[in-house]
Amino acid sequence: MGEAANGALCEEIREALRMIIDPELGRNIVDLGLIYDVSVEDGGIAHVSMTTTTKGCPASQYLKEAVRNCVWYVPGVEYAEVRLTYEPAWTPEMMAD
Amino acid sequence: MPDATLSPWTMSYFAVACVFLVIGQGLMAAGYGYPFAGVDAPETLALAHLLAIGWLGLLMIGALLQFVPVLIAAPLRAGRLAPSVLLLIVGGLLLLAGGFAALGGAEGLDGLSPGMLPLGAFLLVTGFGLAAAMLASTLLSARALPLPARFVGLGLAALTATILIGAAFAAVLSGIVASDLLATLLLHGVPFHAALGLGGWLSFTAIGVSYRLLPMFMLAPEKVSGAARTVWWTGATALVLVAASVAVVFLDAEAAKTLLALPLVLAFVAVSFYCVDLVRLYRERKRKVVELNIRASYAAFAALLAAVVLISIPATRAAAGEGAAALVYLFAFGWLTGLGLAQLYKIVPFLTWLECYGPILGRIAVPRVQDLVNEGRANFWFGLYYGAVTAATASLFAGSLPSFRVAVAAQLAATLGLMAELVRARRLSSVKGAGVPKPRLFLPLSRPQE
Repeated sequence: MGEAANGALCEEIREALRMIIDPELGRNIVDLGLIYDVSVEDGGIAHVSMTTTTKGCPASQYLKEAVRNCVWYVPGVEYAEVRLTYEPAWTPEMMAD
Repeated sequence: MPDATLSPWTMSYFAVACVFLVIGQGLMAAGYGYPFAGVDAPETLALAHLLAIGWLGLLMIGALLQFVPVLIAAPLRAGRLAPSVLLLIVGGLLLLAGGFAALGGAEGLDGLSPGMLPLGAFLLVTGFGLAAAMLASTLLSARALPLPARFVGLGLAALTATILIGAAFAAVLSGIVASDLLATLLLHGVPFHAALGLGGWLSFTAIGVSYRLLPMFMLAPEKVSGAARTVWWTGATALVLVAASVAVVFLDAEAAKTLLALPLVLAFVAVSFYCVDLVRLYRERKRKVVELNIRASYAAFAALLAAVVLISIPATRAAAGEGAAALVYLFAFGWLTGLGLAQLYKIVPFLTWLECYGPILGRIAVPRVQDLVNEGRANFWFGLYYGAVTAATASLFAGSLPSFRVAVAAQLAATLGLMAELVRARRLSSVKGAGVPKPRLFLPLSRPQE
């Protein structure tokens, strides 16, 4: 996959993830800054690094699973791997205006 | 990394707690217990324990089963004990209340007897002991305890002390133990029992949990401020002094009562710094639109400050009636119950959302947690609730029994209104369109989170 196509697929993934909201804040997880990184390897293997607003939140596993499902349905993605991280910890400053 | 999951029994604890709140307020509105009887009358003791254990105790245990894992980002230990703990506490409380009712002259009525007191105390010691063990072992599984978790840990220690002192009272009152030492404790130890229960267990724990929940809900910085550290050190010192004073009761009861003055000063300092910190959190929040649960919580904080300031002034303390009853009422209903109802108004929809929409998140569009509630109606009920608490407190200061009953009736109406809102949230009544299967109203999760 070329670099341009790869970048376009990453952008499509980010766009798809906008349908997932943080239940408490009611905003999508991309604009909240909860998606730290999106990359795609050759063969359509997508890697997403994400966080949640609060470490230990009972919604964490639901959000992680939702991201995995959502990414998997993006055309061009053959496999999705999602990593939940708290390094760095999320802060409200990470939200888009 | 292990994560906190949904606590399957929390909603059951909340439901039972709400039933006891309704029963307690209903009894007061019907003229049962203080101020229609003395503060140390058996009827008052029955009423006080229905509210302190049945409402506040079960509410707090139910909330901690969910939030202790969040505080330390680790799963709950021995969570399978939760239903047994609930049954033990409810069974013990009913026996205890029956025993008090028997002491108050209802002996022989439907088999009530003072002999129910020690059996009730045994079940309560077992139930709360198991709860404290579950929560403490969960806390101990963390490598380092963040400040909010330390508040909870000390609150659990205060719970243990409260329950053990209460069990000693029950043994003496029922006559199964004839001990001069324990009789001395019964005669002079009630203020310590109340201070450890209401101040140590319920308030210290609530303050700890609020230090985690408020930044979460308001998007305020989670840093540990100097004020928060001061709250911790002064509050913890006050609690240790109260616990140590219990031992002094056996040596010199009057000296022990005098010793209570120092923890009171420390509690005043702790609450003052806590309120300063609450104002800071509010000012530094990133979430400009503050939801109703936060506004209602701040009304509870105002009640806490008012109660502690007024109880620290000898003149207002004396004017508050036997055992400063009017101020204890403000503390129990303005602060603890007000905060409890405010947080229920957030936690119940939040857990309902996770149960119903968590598993389908990312597949279809889902509502927000806030879409599960109607703030307009609830705003009215919270307004009525706090107005009624203020009126009831003023009635107790004035010694006006008729106006107290009217105020408590209004308080009960507001509580029922808020509970109806919680049921509507559980039934997904405010969510438009075809949705998901409705969850069970208060029974455990039908589909436990994996």
